[in-house]
Amino acid sequence: MDIVLAAAADAFTWQALLAIVIGTWAGIIIGGLPGLGSVVGLTIFLPFTFGMDVITSMALLIGVYCGSVYGGSITAILINTPGTPQAAATTFDGYPMTQQGRVGEALGWATFASFFGGVLSCVMLIIGAPQLAKFAVNFGSIEVFALVCLAMLCIVGVSQGSTLKGILCGMMGFLFSMVGSDPITGADRFTFGQYALSSGLTLIPVVVGAFALSEVFVRFASRDDEAARIPEARLTFPGLRDIGRRLIELIRGSFIGGLIGALPGTGAAAAAFISYASAQKLSPRRKNLGKGEPDGIIASESSNNAVTGSSFIPTLALGIPGDVVTAMMMGAMVIHGITPGVRLMADQAQTVYSLFVVLIIVNVAMLILSKPSVGLFRYLFKLPQGFVMGGIVMFSFIGAVSVRGNPLDLVVAAVTGLLAYVLRRGGYPLAPLVIGMVLGPELESSLRRGLLISRGDFSAFFTHSTIASVLFILIALFIAGTLWSGFTQWRKDRAASESPAA
Amino acid sequence: MTSTLFHPRVLTALALLLVGAGLSVTAWQGPADAMLVPRFVLAIWCAAALVVLIGELIRRAPMPRVSRSPLPLLMAAVLIAAVATASLGFLIPVLPLVALTLWLFRVRQPLWLALGTLILGGGLWFLFHHVLLIRLPTLLTNGLI
Repeated sequence: MDIVLAAAADAFTWQALLAIVIGTWAGIIIGGLPGLGSVVGLTIFLPFTFGMDVITSMALLIGVYCGSVYGGSITAILINTPGTPQAAATTFDGYPMTQQGRVGEALGWATFASFFGGVLSCVMLIIGAPQLAKFAVNFGSIEVFALVCLAMLCIVGVSQGSTLKGILCGMMGFLFSMVGSDPITGADRFTFGQYALSSGLTLIPVVVGAFALSEVFVRFASRDDEAARIPEARLTFPGLRDIGRRLIELIRGSFIGGLIGALPGTGAAAAAFISYASAQKLSPRRKNLGKGEPDGIIASESSNNAVTGSSFIPTLALGIPGDVVTAMMMGAMVIHGITPGVRLMADQAQTVYSLFVVLIIVNVAMLILSKPSVGLFRYLFKLPQGFVMGGIVMFSFIGAVSVRGNPLDLVVAAVTGLLAYVLRRGGYPLAPLVIGMVLGPELESSLRRGLLISRGDFSAFFTHSTIASVLFILIALFIAGTLWSGFTQWRKDRAASESPAA
Repeated sequence: MTSTLFHPRVLTALALLLVGAGLSVTAWQGPADAMLVPRFVLAIWCAAALVVLIGELIRRAPMPRVSRSPLPLLMAAVLIAAVATASLGFLIPVLPLVALTLWLFRVRQPLWLALGTLILGGGLWFLFHHVLLIRLPTLLTNGLI
């Protein structure tokens, strides 16, 4: 109990509260601007945290993260353009409600469902993370290797239908993480005689290039402009009776998001679609879904915001990021001296509990700040796109170079930006690149330590312990399932193309 | 067939395959212990790139319309500014880059262009470098600019 009180005291400092307010508000705005999602928001705000203490910096970043996930729903409802991929399912019922003149009601349900999902996932995090951490201390090098292999398979989940391209990008990220001195033998790898590359590539410049700079290029190439189409936006919170009528939908969506968030590699976008699909089957008002039914918004928004809390379970307790955003958060934690993983709950319990408290405060702040933020959108959408893009370029440059003050990181960010643009144009998903870069070093070091333990015998990995065996069986089942679903899809496509109608 | 070969998606897949193959040569020439995992990773890279290349060749996606766009100019400016930072410091390369970005995104009124460049370029640099004391690369050793 003492540790919880001490953690709450850490989270209730004026600096942390100010960081929460600024981060959440900025997150809502950034999330609401189409194309600028959670990753860009975190990229922009990361450099601001370098001079801050751990809790204040994490409060700012968690605020940006949670705020941006909610903010994505605002443009989804107002202009049928989700600000973030997580809010894509919100458009199904949000925009029809706007067309029916029920924009305030739609925004109100989106806000309340986001708050409800976020708070419920915090409770899941508080209960789930310590239990998982206790179990996680049984993990040695071989078990960690098996677990990271399993997490690597999440590349398939985030590859958006192009699994092979996802694997290719995952390997690219993995290889990025290997540039520099080998941590075990000290031999240079892929430095091509350049001394500057010996210290390796860091995650942030790669992420800045891959997501923020390439976004500028993509938006310049597409020249889309969402300005000037914004309807008058006013937010109306639902009444208690309405909340009571839809409580089951709120709880169901939040639980789905909470559970999916705890699985590495799924993410908030997947959670929102799965929750929406469940509402299509289980909601008493399912016939109205897709035509402007608040249950659709509740399903999407409660689940995608529930992911924000529960995605910290694998990140904090096992050191495995659930998606690109948590991979970035993990990178930020490492920069600030928090090392996510099996020892975190034992070594830095107070810090972890402070993060839990921060998460709850962020969700309350999101509820309070939603009304002025929605009002601000009317003005923000009138700002020329050039200023937004110029700002992104500047923040990207600052974010890339300020991690370790090395100008080489800026070149890395720029080159990655160009590469990412080409990859995006070619239909290659970028999330696997970041996942590969984050998980790569852990996969390699656990494999090589495991080989030392087993005296070079890789077959011993499969029989080393029950945990390792179960994890390898899960990996085999996942691969078999993916291959089988790919095969059945191929057969369906083939049958469709050979049918007389085709 | 020739037009299929010059499709951007095919060229991207081919480039990835060639890069993977080139890096594989480096990996196989390096020390066995340190290059154990990279060799494995590059084998998967090359295999995936080969299958993607074959897939792109079979798919025969329609050729995208070639249009003259100043995008390469923006890309080159980003790269040049990034490279120049090491020798010119942060502020000097970034100011023309921000101005060019604003210009290309149709902020062309001289007053807005100048204000945008000063606030976004100079203002943010000043905020981070001199107010928040996050040291960005400098031209002068005393750190002023």
